[in-house]
Amino acid sequence: MKDIAAILRGFGLVAVMGASAALTAAPVQAQGNRPVTVVVPFAAGGGTDITTRAMQEGMAKALDANVVVKNTAGAGGTIGVSEVARAKPDGTTLAMAPVGPLTTQPHLRELPYDVDSFDYICLAYSAPTVIAVRKDSPFTSLGDLVAYGKEHPGELTFAVQAIGSIPHIAGLGLADAAGIEMNYLPVNGDGPALKALLDGTADLFIPHVSFYSTNADQLKSLALLQADRLAEQPDLATAAEQGYALDFPIWGGLVAPAGLEDAVKGKLEAACKGAIDSKPFQDRMATLKQPSAYLGAGDFAAFVHEKYETNRKLLEKAGLLAK
Amino acid sequence: MELLLTAVTQIATPMTLLAIVAGTFVGVIVGVLPGLGSVLGLTMVLPFTFAMPQIPAIALMLGVYCGSVYGGSITAIVLNTPGTPQSAATAMEGFPMAQRGEADLAIGWVTAASTLGGLFSVAVLALAGPTLATFSLQFTPIEYFALGLFAMTCIAGVSSGALAKGLMAGGIGIILSMIGADPVTGDLRFTFHSFQLTAGIGLIPVIVGLFAFSEMFLRVLDLDAGKTAAKDMRVGFRLPRWADWRPRLGMLLRGSLIGSFVGALPGTGAATASFIAYSEAQRTSPRRANFGKGEADGLVACESANNAVTGSALVPTLALGIPGDPVTAVMLGALVIQGVAPGPQLFVNHLDLIYAIFLVLVIVNVVMFAIGALGAPIFTRVLRIPEPILIGLILIISTVGAYGVNGNLFDVWIAFGAGVAGAILRYFSYPVAPIVIGMVLGPTIEMSLRQGLILTRGDALAFFQRPIALMLFIITAAILLWPLVRRLRARERT
Repeated sequence: MKDIAAILRGFGLVAVMGASAALTAAPVQAQGNRPVTVVVPFAAGGGTDITTRAMQEGMAKALDANVVVKNTAGAGGTIGVSEVARAKPDGTTLAMAPVGPLTTQPHLRELPYDVDSFDYICLAYSAPTVIAVRKDSPFTSLGDLVAYGKEHPGELTFAVQAIGSIPHIAGLGLADAAGIEMNYLPVNGDGPALKALLDGTADLFIPHVSFYSTNADQLKSLALLQADRLAEQPDLATAAEQGYALDFPIWGGLVAPAGLEDAVKGKLEAACKGAIDSKPFQDRMATLKQPSAYLGAGDFAAFVHEKYETNRKLLEKAGLLAK
Repeated sequence: MELLLTAVTQIATPMTLLAIVAGTFVGVIVGVLPGLGSVLGLTMVLPFTFAMPQIPAIALMLGVYCGSVYGGSITAIVLNTPGTPQSAATAMEGFPMAQRGEADLAIGWVTAASTLGGLFSVAVLALAGPTLATFSLQFTPIEYFALGLFAMTCIAGVSSGALAKGLMAGGIGIILSMIGADPVTGDLRFTFHSFQLTAGIGLIPVIVGLFAFSEMFLRVLDLDAGKTAAKDMRVGFRLPRWADWRPRLGMLLRGSLIGSFVGALPGTGAATASFIAYSEAQRTSPRRANFGKGEADGLVACESANNAVTGSALVPTLALGIPGDPVTAVMLGALVIQGVAPGPQLFVNHLDLIYAIFLVLVIVNVVMFAIGALGAPIFTRVLRIPEPILIGLILIISTVGAYGVNGNLFDVWIAFGAGVAGAILRYFSYPVAPIVIGMVLGPTIEMSLRQGLILTRGDALAFFQRPIALMLFIITAAILLWPLVRRLRARERT
């Protein structure tokens, strides 16, 4: 019987470990207030996840509460975001909601939430995208690419990381602005898109600038898709300089279920700003070569509503709107 | 040489060694627990790596990675419940062996095979890293389609005599994998207006249900079946004798090669490798009549294969920046945070780091062996827990595991549903492993077929003009036709 007691103790320990594993992140220790859960609607290790985890400590300090990062992945980020839309608006459940689930997915299919289901706390990151080709590609500028595309309609193959994602919309925007036809090859994310370029099945794709910089060994940027050059990487030429006004950032920010009290919202907004301004966060962004960005609650809400409308128009033009 | 010495000094720090041991331990534990797999284990330790220097951070991640791939096999043996998808094939031989009362020996086989397979793939990574990476670029969607079809033939191998039932189970797996968003157009399929189903049906909840829940349900319904009495179960850790090893060295080598090859192709993974190795062993083994009854050949083949994936999966991850699966994607994320930029230049300019990774992997595999050997007496003792208590514990742990994958309660319902379905299927002696094969390979086959057709502008014949793909198609056809040929020849003789 002694054996069994020992095993049960062991199993109890293992079960506790399992339960804490299910919470996924090690909560940052702090005293006082109720813990705050930030839902990341994608798997761990991606850009959204890393940015959120970089903010974890700063937010915990500012709020004097544990901050837990929870990954609820699935359906292009809509599962995690809808979970937060349904939560109680008491400031303890937030989502790091990226551009896709907030402003493109609601136009593509029926979702249990829309742009008005949330209170907007802050924009936490925004990075421009680039049009990337293989390092040894014959194209050296957007002009080369467009000229080739015009001569050989339908022969350029464009790798699309996800249907209705910002890179997809940016590619549609490019084809529309330049008057070229491309062959669209769907792949599952940035890694497979890079593979499609390297093995020669695709000619171009549109990653965010941080992914491009990490893989600059094997990639060449034809155009940065924002109005001005980046201070951090001034050598990347913009599309605007080359005659195409394409501006497609990938961004995300903290949102809460609609109906937050103003005082709670203000506290969360301040905590977000504090975390983003902190040195550890800025250092991490520098390592990732990701430009830092911030908008407060009011500006962020206006920004999301504006993007919601512009992206709807782009999707409508491409014939992708849900019927 | 000098670089190697630098790497040794970088690793020979208390912090790195602690990270290796702690990481491997956590890895084995999350592997053992049904549902909690490699991805969750890596996610758990990810925040810790933020505050660590480069080498210890990498050591921690590699430990969790290798440990979790191995750990799943222990539960597969002891409880017929693979802790991870990679170990689904292991259960087919390991559990019957444990039922004979030889769980200690089964764990000995898989621990040794896992370690040797892991070490083999470290050698592959060290000797052929960049070359293998270039080779993996020969595989375009058309080759993936051919490889996927080839891997589908594994269903025959795991159906143990009930081919028609196995094919039906495989079909169920493929159908389950089609639920959710269409990978090419984004349109929703088979979701019946359920929002949760738009994300599709997860592989891990289904595995937890099909294996863990259904096993427990069947035990509850059938408590007094004539099995080896709990008190006769051998506990401990027993390494197989050399005389038993010698005829199986070929299996070990073949399993390691299959694992290393499949691992180097982004987008396949350890589950596919272990199924291919298992059915390959079953086709070629002189002891093939014993398969399904606790044959060590099967254990050696699939465990060497799934652990051989660990080293070679790092090839495309490091040399090309292309993670092959969600597991390597988390690792790559952690490396990028540490300021490591993947790509061909890494193998040229940062050889010290590459050497450090090789050495860490070697140590991880040795530590994994030690944890297996020391832990086996505890794990095998689980078999002596009174069955009602054990069933309760497994149900709780599996429920947590199913929830933990995506932090989504819906997955728990999927797991329970799969558990009921699995119990019914198994009662009518349908093999359930083909469902896993169908779910793993279904998306690869569909995506690569449709990508291939986009690339060839709808010309299916172009699929046969590519040498590697053509070779794989021919091998697949040969495997499917071989039993027929054998039967015809046998008939001629009589």
